[in-house]
Amino acid sequence: MTNLLLKTLMASGAGSGKDATFWMPEQASTVAHSVDLTFDVITWISYFFFVLITGALIWFIVKYQRKGHEAVTEGPVHNTTIEVVWTVIPLLLVIVIFVVGLKGYLNLQEAPEGCYEVQVTAQKWSWTFDHPDYAVTQVGELTVPEGQPVRLIMTSNDLLHSLWIPSFRVKMDAIPGRYTSLWFEATKTGTFQLLCTEYCGKDHSKMLAVVNVVPKEDFKPHMVKLASEYEDMSLEQLPAYAINRLYNRCQSCHSLDGSDNTGPTFKGLWDRVSKGDVNFTNGDNLSNLLGDGTDYVQPENYIRESLVNPQKHIVQGYLGAMPSFQGQLKEKQITALIEMFKRLDELTDADGNVIVNTDGTPR
Amino acid sequence: MTNEHHSDSYLEHAHGLFGNKGGIVGWIFTLDHKRIGVMYLVCVLLAFLLAGIFAMMIRYQLLTPEGTFLTADQYNQVFTLHGAIMVFLVIIPGVPAALGNFVLPIMLGAKDVAFPKLNLFSWYLWIAGLVFFLLSLVYGGVDTGWTFYTPYSIDKTSSMGGVIPALIGAFILGFSSIFTGMNFIVTIHRLRPPGMTWFKMPLFLWGTYATAVIQVLATPVIGITLLLLIVERTMGIGIFDPAMGGDPVLYQHFFWFYSHPAVYIMILPAMGVVSELISVHSHRHIFGYKFIAYSSIAIAMFGFLVWGHHMFVSGQSPLMNAIFSLITFSVSIPSAVKVFNWLATLYKGSISLNTPMIYGLSFIFIFTIGGLTGLHLGTLATDVHLHDSYFVVAHFHYVMMGSALIGFIGGIHHWWPKMSGKMYSEFWGRIAAVMVFIGFNMTFFTQFMLGSQGMPRRYAQYATMPELQVYHVWSTIGSTIMALGFVITAIYLIQSMFSGKKAPSNPWGGRSLEWQCTSPPPWNNFSEQPTVGDCYDYSVLEWDEAEQGYHWKEDAERP
Repeated sequence: MTNLLLKTLMASGAGSGKDATFWMPEQASTVAHSVDLTFDVITWISYFFFVLITGALIWFIVKYQRKGHEAVTEGPVHNTTIEVVWTVIPLLLVIVIFVVGLKGYLNLQEAPEGCYEVQVTAQKWSWTFDHPDYAVTQVGELTVPEGQPVRLIMTSNDLLHSLWIPSFRVKMDAIPGRYTSLWFEATKTGTFQLLCTEYCGKDHSKMLAVVNVVPKEDFKPHMVKLASEYEDMSLEQLPAYAINRLYNRCQSCHSLDGSDNTGPTFKGLWDRVSKGDVNFTNGDNLSNLLGDGTDYVQPENYIRESLVNPQKHIVQGYLGAMPSFQGQLKEKQITALIEMFKRLDELTDADGNVIVNTDGTPR
Repeated sequence: MTNEHHSDSYLEHAHGLFGNKGGIVGWIFTLDHKRIGVMYLVCVLLAFLLAGIFAMMIRYQLLTPEGTFLTADQYNQVFTLHGAIMVFLVIIPGVPAALGNFVLPIMLGAKDVAFPKLNLFSWYLWIAGLVFFLLSLVYGGVDTGWTFYTPYSIDKTSSMGGVIPALIGAFILGFSSIFTGMNFIVTIHRLRPPGMTWFKMPLFLWGTYATAVIQVLATPVIGITLLLLIVERTMGIGIFDPAMGGDPVLYQHFFWFYSHPAVYIMILPAMGVVSELISVHSHRHIFGYKFIAYSSIAIAMFGFLVWGHHMFVSGQSPLMNAIFSLITFSVSIPSAVKVFNWLATLYKGSISLNTPMIYGLSFIFIFTIGGLTGLHLGTLATDVHLHDSYFVVAHFHYVMMGSALIGFIGGIHHWWPKMSGKMYSEFWGRIAAVMVFIGFNMTFFTQFMLGSQGMPRRYAQYATMPELQVYHVWSTIGSTIMALGFVITAIYLIQSMFSGKKAPSNPWGGRSLEWQCTSPPPWNNFSEQPTVGDCYDYSVLEWDEAEQGYHWKEDAERP
């Protein structure tokens, strides 16, 4: 403990990134420089007034300290000129600060023409990034090209969230039932922290993502690879892929931790399905539909049917709100989801948190 | 009525609803503003202790990036209760209800506030508010943050079960605040003594008057908002719930329409206290009286027009943001004017570095930093980066804790001899005041860097940002020093009640009317209506060695 204290106390310039300053983390977007310049101007004005005020304070304390109890004071009790002066000078200064800040802000607001657009969906406690141009969905990671303006169009599935990328100096709330947006142009390749800054409950402090900035020429191949990465995967690799790349489209209705939602939880789903322990709203039971000469024969077929034709059998207690994924999911992706159900216990912990990465390494 | 003597101190004479009963009945049914003030003081300080324990839990949780001893759910409850108790139960009632109740009528030379029974009722409402806050713990806790933002607070699957009792508690505390404000407005308008025109009032009265106006005008808005929230959560009327076509951001407008002025409810009376501290303890006529008085009113007025700066990144239109940013800057001007006037008061003064004055000078230092960092947050371009980060946490602690609460603690030390009739240990008082000052700045200055470097608010851990640990460690060490300072303060203040030296009527050389009655004051304050002159003219006072206090010069002319 003592060691830790000493170590941390001796660390200096503790900002994140190599070229972080005393106040700010590294600059990695086109707007970062001007935001920091505005910050520095205000900070230097603050230093000036701080030194002026505390300097006078300390000087007066030392010079006019009372000795004994007898106290005779004389001095001005009022001076209109000086009071007008120290009202007007700060007034002029704050007007300058306001104008500088407003110009910088309008620059932050107005996205340039030809932005690459990404749809962002926030929900407890993850960030989903949809790239419509490549039909790629990323969760917890946002890949963007360097040197190209990117516009994020954001909404939330549940509560208020707020997207902050400190190194880019951008932030905007994600609001349910409404779209908000922000833009940035990354000036450096590498990975940058993305955080939720609007309090959203238990795992607010774990609602993080990584912005992965890749060279502009690498971006398209990278996206194409993301869009088809499952094609070369073996059956063993598919579950980790499915839980990381496909499950995010299910998660607003199907939980991993056993809690009830718009649809049944995925926890223990394979167990129930393979035993036929599922009742339908039409009074039928899955066990009657499995085995030779029945509708499904194999439990895998039931899952496949639930994805492409979800209205055929609706589970008792639910409204049947599920849309069909026919055409949206390739055959191999459906296989990946079925494998995911079979091995869900290896992919998540007891609380339903995903514990493996897309490539199968532990998270 | 046999024992009713004018000379009986208020500590001996209950002046209660049921006559002059002794003991606890004499206190909890008292109509005497001084006893009510003392009851508020005791209760507010106990609430401060509770919220302070929560604050230390926050600091020790964040000592390591993974968090040390709280689960995320526990941490979220701890910071919610810390904020809610500090705002609603400690800082808002602190100076006006505790110190104001005690001092305000005496400063006016009045026997009591205008409505003594309403005054007692306000205290009972405060107690009821506290009870509902504690009930929220029984009903499953609150984890919404003190701001109760929608849709989190109305989503029963997200927020914990104690939201409704906490909302009822805040609602009731609002009425306590409104009644106190009303009482003070009427008292100041109607009960001023002959000769005390508006511009001859002590500046503490200007501070509490400006505060009272905000209390009466702004608090009903939060009352209605909290009621709407209760109805929304229980019945689902769909005003804030986006799933039913409601607007969650509308709640933020309603909430901050009260809660930003509430910041001035906290700071204005503390500024009033500091005007007294700086003038009395430097034995120097206050500089620019009218500018200080007007600046209180200006802050109270502008304070109503800046709420939108809490929503710069909530999707509000850029035009709205520009307007709110501009008006926000206007608040900085009267604040700066006050600081310059206090400095000019110290110039050529005779500064006594006693305990209340150390708090007064700490206020100027800390409020300067709090005010200047407000510029970074009022500026649109920089606020986008700093919004909802620890920079904001540091800024509002500099203003609400380092300024409002330090002003309150300074005021307690200033009027303690008057309230208790006893002197506390100057030696320990100074040591504790310096510890609080150093500890405070260590705790919160580091949080400015934390925020600008990328630490968001309300995080139970920061495992992916271990490089920020150094700031958290400094902050926790500072908070420990500050907490020790407060513990020492509690010890010597309690000790003074048992073995402190008897306080003279006027230990500091104050000129306002409370220093002209005995310490502690008689139950009816003054047996004759006192007359007033310039309450900052100290030339009529001289030190009396025998009394260890100041008295009127023989040859000085009485007004």
